[in-house]
Amino acid sequence: MTTTEPSLSEAGSAPRPGRRSTPAIGAWLPTWDLITTKNLEIRKRRGLVITVAVLIVAPTVLIYGLRLLFHAVDPHGYGLAGSPAIFSQLSNLMAEFGFIAAAALGAAAGTTDLTDGVFRHLVITGRSRLALYLARIPAGLAILVPLVALAFAMNCLVTSYESPPPPTSVALYGLNVPEHLDQAGLQTWLLQHPQQAENGLPVGPATNLAQVRSAIDQNIASFYSNYIADEISGSNPADNEMAKIGLWVELEVGIGFLVGLGLGSLTGQRTTTTIVLIALEIIVTPILARVQIPYFIDGQRLVVGIAMDQLRPAALAPATSGPGGGGPGHVLFGGRGALGIPPMPTWAMISVIVGWIVGWSGIGAWRMMTRDA
Amino acid sequence: MNTNELLAAGPVAGAHGQHIGIGLIVLAILVLGSLGYGAVRLNNRRRLNRQVTRPEPPMPMQEPPRPRQEAPSPGPQPPSAGQEPPSPAPAPARRAPVSSQHPNGWAVETHGLNKRFGATVAVDGVELLVPRGSAFGYLGPNGAGKTTLIRTLLGLTRADGGTMSLLGTPVPAERSRALARVGAIVDEPRFHPHLTGRDNLRLLAAARGGDADQRIAPSLARVGLTERAGDKVAAYSMGMRQRLGVAACLLADPELLILDEPMNGLDPAGMHEMRAMIASLAAEGRTVVLSSHLLDEVQRTCDAVAIVDHGRVIRQGSIDELIRGAGAAVVQIDCDEPARAAQLIDEAGIAAGTALTGAGLTVTLPAGASRELVADINRRLVVAGIDVYGLREVQASLEDWFLSVTSRLGEPS
Repeated sequence: MTTTEPSLSEAGSAPRPGRRSTPAIGAWLPTWDLITTKNLEIRKRRGLVITVAVLIVAPTVLIYGLRLLFHAVDPHGYGLAGSPAIFSQLSNLMAEFGFIAAAALGAAAGTTDLTDGVFRHLVITGRSRLALYLARIPAGLAILVPLVALAFAMNCLVTSYESPPPPTSVALYGLNVPEHLDQAGLQTWLLQHPQQAENGLPVGPATNLAQVRSAIDQNIASFYSNYIADEISGSNPADNEMAKIGLWVELEVGIGFLVGLGLGSLTGQRTTTTIVLIALEIIVTPILARVQIPYFIDGQRLVVGIAMDQLRPAALAPATSGPGGGGPGHVLFGGRGALGIPPMPTWAMISVIVGWIVGWSGIGAWRMMTRDA
Repeated sequence: MNTNELLAAGPVAGAHGQHIGIGLIVLAILVLGSLGYGAVRLNNRRRLNRQVTRPEPPMPMQEPPRPRQEAPSPGPQPPSAGQEPPSPAPAPARRAPVSSQHPNGWAVETHGLNKRFGATVAVDGVELLVPRGSAFGYLGPNGAGKTTLIRTLLGLTRADGGTMSLLGTPVPAERSRALARVGAIVDEPRFHPHLTGRDNLRLLAAARGGDADQRIAPSLARVGLTERAGDKVAAYSMGMRQRLGVAACLLADPELLILDEPMNGLDPAGMHEMRAMIASLAAEGRTVVLSSHLLDEVQRTCDAVAIVDHGRVIRQGSIDELIRGAGAAVVQIDCDEPARAAQLIDEAGIAAGTALTGAGLTVTLPAGASRELVADINRRLVVAGIDVYGLREVQASLEDWFLSVTSRLGEPS
């Protein structure tokens, strides 16, 4: 069989050294082509991508779909689909599921070149192994970030346009207190309504109004904390608050991906990596967040989930924030966290989060650069 | 997280208060997802297996396997410091004389290369010189260290000692620059099974950079995979994967091709196609290093060989020279008393060995023996009264020689 054969060489004969320029493939920065083709490789794993999409988007679609349907069928029996509480719950759910989905995707991105036997082909091209690793980061995030944005946008839209009107007062221990008070304003209002305060507030065994006022003065910080929590839980988050929450969820998902990628590259085991990170997210972190282990508080704080809990925006954790809550998230995101352990300093929280991102990325890149292909 | 709460707009749950519930939901989703995914994969695999039965497109024949041509031995000793390397083997007549255009005539050069895996020495002080423009066979029994040497050359694993260069570029110091002009298949060619052949090449072309992506279509056409390039690799036969592996090599428009056991898993037709492909690539002036334990393939394809055993290169040079130099020629004697003839020759001590076969007597000549020895044997037999009907000098095959110099016969050379 004779065919006309396209020439691979310019002259159609022997390749001649030096007649073509050698591309700078030793550079550590990944090229756009490298990123897009890696994205293609991940994207074409249909089963994995569908699973990731389901974990991130499906809860929002399902919950709001059913609530919208119920409300449309029986408006009197079922209220509007959106509410601050639903928004908060779905955002938290999105962060939890998003972390797990991202970890699974990261583990796949970090291991499939190895398991499919393509890693050695890639190494033989002469391309910098670091560039090969770094290309996986934008390639994977390009799948996750839009999915989270889509799900979160749905959450925001339904909350903004399908929620009951915000209340005109805050229900604090059964008292109807005006909205938008600062701590001094709340203190003034309570002192002006001592009788109501005595009946509603947990001020202890007060025998006269003077004792009630004294109790208010002493406990105003705690009352204000609960006032803020109740106010937030009863109102839709403001636009800037929604933006902060969206960024926080994206950060949670991004961390999941980067840790999955790094751990996957380190172990070369996709399944093991995924299981370990699921266990970290749904077993280890919750336990460490709620239980104070003597002499190990600082160790507990090294878990990224703990740091992320402290960074959790206020609107996502108002109801569970106990006296121990209220970490540095106040400073950054107005967050309060849901921790059962004392919060850590802001610099420590940021260091833990950045440490996990940089540390796992570094470990993964190091392993990829030193691994036998 | 309780679904009823969500549906009923219940109180806000804490982030970790409902983790057990979340965990159960996640696990349930993962298990169901895995089952569903597994079922889909199984179904796809069955479907793809059916697709495999589709006839493969024929590989374009560039050129029939060329007869092996004589190439001078590059010599087992490396050039001394400060000395120009000996001129490489002149290319066969049908090839462009590429090597003469380069001051450094070696496509692959290693000196004292070592690689250990714990206590096991996989590569033991290897001195290897592969002339540019040659088709070079790298032979050795299984476990001799062939693949390890190739992996070390390509930077897939690190050497423990020694120096090496590819196309005159030292590796690993300038590995990226050297590999930009090298294409290689190591072990069996494996690709992402969920991607098409073309997408796999796109991935590798992106890693190559430069104009490699423009060579995807010509490479696919070259190996005869254009029609199946849109199919997922999972549906490819082993032969098609080998061809895709060659196409991946061609993305670099390589001056040096290193093919590790390219015939593995191929049926006779596939081997024939691959042989033709290798011959055509070598005929273009590309240096082809063919690692194999299939001696016949190497003898038919290559000019020169290196024999590796227990991690060491024990011989290298042109095939003809090596076989002749090893003195592995034998003489087939047709006579009326083969047993007495064998005894006579053994007692005279003029042969390396004798053996009685169905065809008569086979006498192995000692190394460097001249044709006069054959006449001498004939004379001795006639003088002893043995009727000699014929003597035929039989050139030993590469396999005979290979077995004689490797440890496979239990007698290391």
